[in-house]
Amino acid sequence: MVEVRASDRDGTEHRLEAERGRPLMEVLREANLGVEGTCGGACACGTCHVYVGAAWVERLPARSEDEQMMLDAIAELVEVRPASRLSCQIPVSEELNGIEVEIGPVP
Amino acid sequence: MNAPIKLQLLLDTQRLERNPFPIPTGWFFAGYSDSIQPGEVKNINFLDQEWVMFRGENGTVGITDPYCPHLGAHLGHGGTVVGDNIRCTFHHWEYSAEGFCKHIPYAKVMPPITKKQPILRTLPVQERYGLIWAWYHPEAADPQWELPAIPEMEEPGHVKPRRWSGSVNTAIQEVAENGVDNVHLKYLHGTPIVPPTTATFEDHKMQINIGMGYIIGDMFGPGLNVMRFTKDGVTATMISYSVPITRNQTQMNMSFTHKDYPQGSKERAIAEHLVAHSIGEAEGEESAGFESVDMIVWNNKKYRAKPLLCDGDGQIIKYRQWFKQFYPGWENSDKI
Repeated sequence: MVEVRASDRDGTEHRLEAERGRPLMEVLREANLGVEGTCGGACACGTCHVYVGAAWVERLPARSEDEQMMLDAIAELVEVRPASRLSCQIPVSEELNGIEVEIGPVP
Repeated sequence: MNAPIKLQLLLDTQRLERNPFPIPTGWFFAGYSDSIQPGEVKNINFLDQEWVMFRGENGTVGITDPYCPHLGAHLGHGGTVVGDNIRCTFHHWEYSAEGFCKHIPYAKVMPPITKKQPILRTLPVQERYGLIWAWYHPEAADPQWELPAIPEMEEPGHVKPRRWSGSVNTAIQEVAENGVDNVHLKYLHGTPIVPPTTATFEDHKMQINIGMGYIIGDMFGPGLNVMRFTKDGVTATMISYSVPITRNQTQMNMSFTHKDYPQGSKERAIAEHLVAHSIGEAEGEESAGFESVDMIVWNNKKYRAKPLLCDGDGQIIKYRQWFKQFYPGWENSDKI
């Protein structure tokens, strides 16, 4: 199992155990931290927006075109930062053990 | 003792299919322009599936897949035209005639793909000659040729086209093959002689010349054939716009017209006779129209991809090679 350190929108930190290979969005959704993941991972809804801890930004796979377009689309309504990601596009892996994410604002 | 026979030849029939063909690529007749008004939605069956046709308030016709890309509701059952879009009854998602999602009333952010590409399959549509045309390609590729100008159908000075439609249980390739099969005109239809026939092929076009200029037929892909019958300097025009309903059923459609010669003139009599002749209704007709004799063959035959032909059989093989271009992905098939 991989440890995920997630802060919810109240600033409370949660330590989660995540199964390797699953999208981070599903882990956050099941922990009831306010992530809806409505579209199921299709980069169509933007409801799994997170800010990734600074130390982790470079260690993630780059944003795909679809993810970038969705982030651009929500940027008109919420703050999107360089550390913004759609958590549905982040597969949990051993390398991400200890990753810090903050549940982001959604439209 | 006899030499061994070619048993394969005798057993071929066991493997023959009535219609091995997929739906071909091309422009196809989808309905008459006067059959759908702005704001109207209707369900149509052709090209081996159901489609939803609508006409926007601006007059543009859309032909779409029936099932909403959102949650699969049928756009043709409860869907309505809103402006130039069709709106699904389930959650009021709206789609343009090109299949772009234009509006989701409750989404704060439109899914980005809706800006990038159509999400609902639609067919490219054109209206020409009073007919609605849809471009079909199995992989939804863009139109590869334009519909031609047909002055008799588009310019004033011609009589209102007379229409004929009928259904036949075979594939569209089989129907059109009779155009190059001049021998059957004598033996099936009973013309006095086998009319001399030539055929030339260029890209998506085929031109046949039957009886040294008596009939000139110009085919533009599988779905449009413009035939001009000329006698004593008078020409009658038949456009034939057959369309595959399923892989095994073809709807044959035709419109006939000619110059609006004065009532009672010799020219008008000739033109009207040519029209009657081409549908086998002429008085004192010595040969049979296609309805009475071709149907029997089409409705019961099987397609032989490797027919046994003799020296008088003309251009059947060239026609089939030409037609193969309309089956993308089937280039190497030995079934067609």
